[in-house]
Amino acid sequence: MTDTYKILVVDDEPDLEPLILQRMRRQIRSNEYEFVFARDGLDALEKLNADSTIDMVLSDINMPKMDGLTLLQQLPDVDPNLRAVIVSAYGDMDNIRTAMNRGAFDFVTKPIDFDDLKITISRTLEHLAEWREALSSRDQLVALQNELSIASQLQQSILPNIPPVTEGCEVSANMEPARNVGGDFYDYFKLDNHVGLVVADVSDKGIPASMFMMSSRTALKGAAIGVREPKMVLTEVNNQLQQDNPTFMFVTLIYALFDPDTGLLTYSIAGHDPPLLVSASGTVTELPLTKGIAVGIAADVVYTQESVTLNPGDTVVLYTDGVTEAMNADNQQFGMGRLAEVFEGNPPESATAANEAVFEYVRNFAGDAPQSDDITCLSLRRP
Amino acid sequence: MEFSHDRSGDTLVVNASGRVDGSNASDFLESLQGMFDPGDQRIILDLGGLEYISSAGLRVLLMAAQNLDKQNKSFSICSLTEAVGDVFRISGFDQIINVFPSVEDAKQG
Repeated sequence: MTDTYKILVVDDEPDLEPLILQRMRRQIRSNEYEFVFARDGLDALEKLNADSTIDMVLSDINMPKMDGLTLLQQLPDVDPNLRAVIVSAYGDMDNIRTAMNRGAFDFVTKPIDFDDLKITISRTLEHLAEWREALSSRDQLVALQNELSIASQLQQSILPNIPPVTEGCEVSANMEPARNVGGDFYDYFKLDNHVGLVVADVSDKGIPASMFMMSSRTALKGAAIGVREPKMVLTEVNNQLQQDNPTFMFVTLIYALFDPDTGLLTYSIAGHDPPLLVSASGTVTELPLTKGIAVGIAADVVYTQESVTLNPGDTVVLYTDGVTEAMNADNQQFGMGRLAEVFEGNPPESATAANEAVFEYVRNFAGDAPQSDDITCLSLRRP
Repeated sequence: MEFSHDRSGDTLVVNASGRVDGSNASDFLESLQGMFDPGDQRIILDLGGLEYISSAGLRVLLMAAQNLDKQNKSFSICSLTEAVGDVFRISGFDQIINVFPSVEDAKQG
């Protein structure tokens, strides 16, 4: 069953109406077309305003009250998606040109050749159908983009932005997604007199990654409560996430627990880049990796942990590969070397300064090159 | 991404080169799986020409590996460059997927 197209025929010549009804009787009977008639431009506008189901207008040029060329100018105000075909005298190129300039889709000449008119009408309506389809895809795209931006806001809203106020501990963290919705996240939370810190990178980006990210974050925070051993936390998170994971998503992450009283930082790494230690004097070292793999891909993974004591003025920088793998226009990677150079001989004065320095260096390095991965960095400093 | 492959008996060796990231990871998987024949029992992926692989790329390798595992077929990768080798080592994927220094080693393994 196809929809019937409604065509408004505008002509002051009363003979045209029976002629069209007679020559188009097959299309009318099969419900392909339906015709309505008007005698001049004003009459046509009234009918268009009264009936929004009219799809196209077939109009003569010379008519009393309002001519066809004036009517053409008014059509977009009635409905910008209306299509018009003009009927003009044979060889009247001036009027035809004016009509086309005013947005007529096509024209036919008098005396009307009905075979030609049928082809012209069907071409016009085909065009209209394609146009409407394009409009509807565009609307769907806009709706999808709206949902994406909501997802992006949701994601940013679960990232904490007020670091825990704890004496002996400064934290600063930022995440800059490459697309609307990223796969990176960070987290920090107070656990009794300790502070838990997380930096994570979910495989891939976009909505699926962000959903996996949300469940990872919840699982981790839940597992961290009351547990003092980061390796036990990762074991628990891995067991939860790998149980039912048909999409083969995984997340690499570092979970660290900091004791502000003693400066002891204990961390466990699940397939993630090692943290960087910047001493108060500005020497930079990579902290050792621990045993264990990305979370979510295999059962019964054994995670180990390492500890380091931060002296006053020491900073630990956790980051995702969006930092080290940031590219410049020459296809070079930022790399570990440049990340170390940010702080070499230049110890940060605060956690915020450390984080700002990383983002500034990466931004300057990348220049105009497009950002291909989320960039996340979390700095912890013992004041 | 560029591919070539070489089959001898029930062993298929696929050479992949270029970069795999979020933008082409699903094409990568599709092209790779498109090369498999039902008769292939052992699939070796030679990544000697691979410059870069992102986590999205690792994920599709994992999907391919698990699919082949379900069919009792062997899957291994070999000839990793230093940069790609680091990605496998740090993420722990070298403990999930068989990694060999060369195609010859993979055939022996």
